[in-house]
Amino acid sequence: MASMIVISTTAVPDHVGGALSRWLIEPCPGLFVGTVSARVRDELWAAVSASVGEGMAVLIHPADNEQGFTMQTSGQRRRHVVDFDGLQLIKFAAATGPQLVQGETHVNM
Amino acid sequence: MSANARRKLASPTLAMLPRVADSLSFLYAEAVRIVQDDTGVCAQVASRNGTDRVYLPTASLACILLGPGTSITQPAMATIARHGTSLVCVGAGGVRSYAGIVPSSLTTAWLEKQVRAWASDDLSLQVAVRMYEMRFGQSTAPPGATLAQLRGLEGQRIKALYRMMAIKYRLKRFTRNYDPDSWDDQDPVNKALSGANACMYGVVHAAVLALGCSPALGFIHSGTQMAFVYDVADLYKARVTIPMAFSLYSSQDPEREARRRLREEFRALKLMPQIVRDIQSLLDPDSSSGNDSGDRTTDLVHLWDPDAGALPAGVNYGYEFIDVPLE
Repeated sequence: MASMIVISTTAVPDHVGGALSRWLIEPCPGLFVGTVSARVRDELWAAVSASVGEGMAVLIHPADNEQGFTMQTSGQRRRHVVDFDGLQLIKFAAATGPQLVQGETHVNM
Repeated sequence: MSANARRKLASPTLAMLPRVADSLSFLYAEAVRIVQDDTGVCAQVASRNGTDRVYLPTASLACILLGPGTSITQPAMATIARHGTSLVCVGAGGVRSYAGIVPSSLTTAWLEKQVRAWASDDLSLQVAVRMYEMRFGQSTAPPGATLAQLRGLEGQRIKALYRMMAIKYRLKRFTRNYDPDSWDDQDPVNKALSGANACMYGVVHAAVLALGCSPALGFIHSGTQMAFVYDVADLYKARVTIPMAFSLYSSQDPEREARRRLREEFRALKLMPQIVRDIQSLLDPDSSSGNDSGDRTTDLVHLWDPDAGALPAGVNYGYEFIDVPLE
């Protein structure tokens, strides 16, 4: 069952954008959109998140939850996806240089 | 951006706001400071490196639960109210609901349905029967049952459930006791049940306020400001809190454990949309989710007339009277 995906990239190596453009279309710089199956989506995201280098990427796709979509991030960035009882919001971290997104901890809020 | 579009973003029109049926997200906030910066509402969290910010999608939230240690500024409150979002002050983890702030633009459609049903003896009994059927299955209420009979049937059902649960967990005997004076020497099941029910009341209270209904006008309970909340919370006790409380029969700290379980396992906050749907079908069983009663806000103030129904306000109706000579 194919569904829409949106991938937004910032400062990723050129070859990543080139690869994505073979599956998805790029309506504005660094923003890719298309409709692919869940398996293709997982493969694409695995490849992109492994090769973002100094940049960062976000994947957004429909999901069976209250918001109707889910978000995944990779790379070094100040915005973190935080889960509040099943509601995904973005935590904008205090400015202390880039932080790794890996191993996101839950903020008590 | 044109001035018109800017104004529209600042004070959203009806079409821009989600309806109850569309989106019923509830956000529980604890130990954060909620402020308005630029034009967005954000929760500030103190962290090691400074202040982290989380922007809150106020227009798509039905209710924000303000837990302990939360502070909120007036501009943020005004924006939240403009978007038709309810603010409820609650105890830790959404248990115990202290006070609610209901936006003035919140539609009175559901409140009017509730009051009409409450004020009529027939309709009010029908709602009580629907509550009973919602708990114990369709057409379980004998036709023409009085409220006293329903109360008796309900009492028997709950006793039977207690007995069944006591047998399941091999407890010698169980008597429900929620006397606050002898709180400390009660058995773990009673304590867990009281703790879990308090949590349930907070969640239900928030849902009732989000719809704009009155928590005070109950159909089975009466006389307190929380009567309707007790009515609605009873719908879920047999399914949620009672089985869980009995499973804590040997717990060292049953109340805390019950609240934690209700939060984490049962995801008390996930019950919210279900509670709202149930309240709607109790008060108005014929309503379909596609009609306009799903709108949470109203821009219009009507004048009500017993013959003509709702009339537009802001109109001078003086011409309807025959001119009476002043002298």
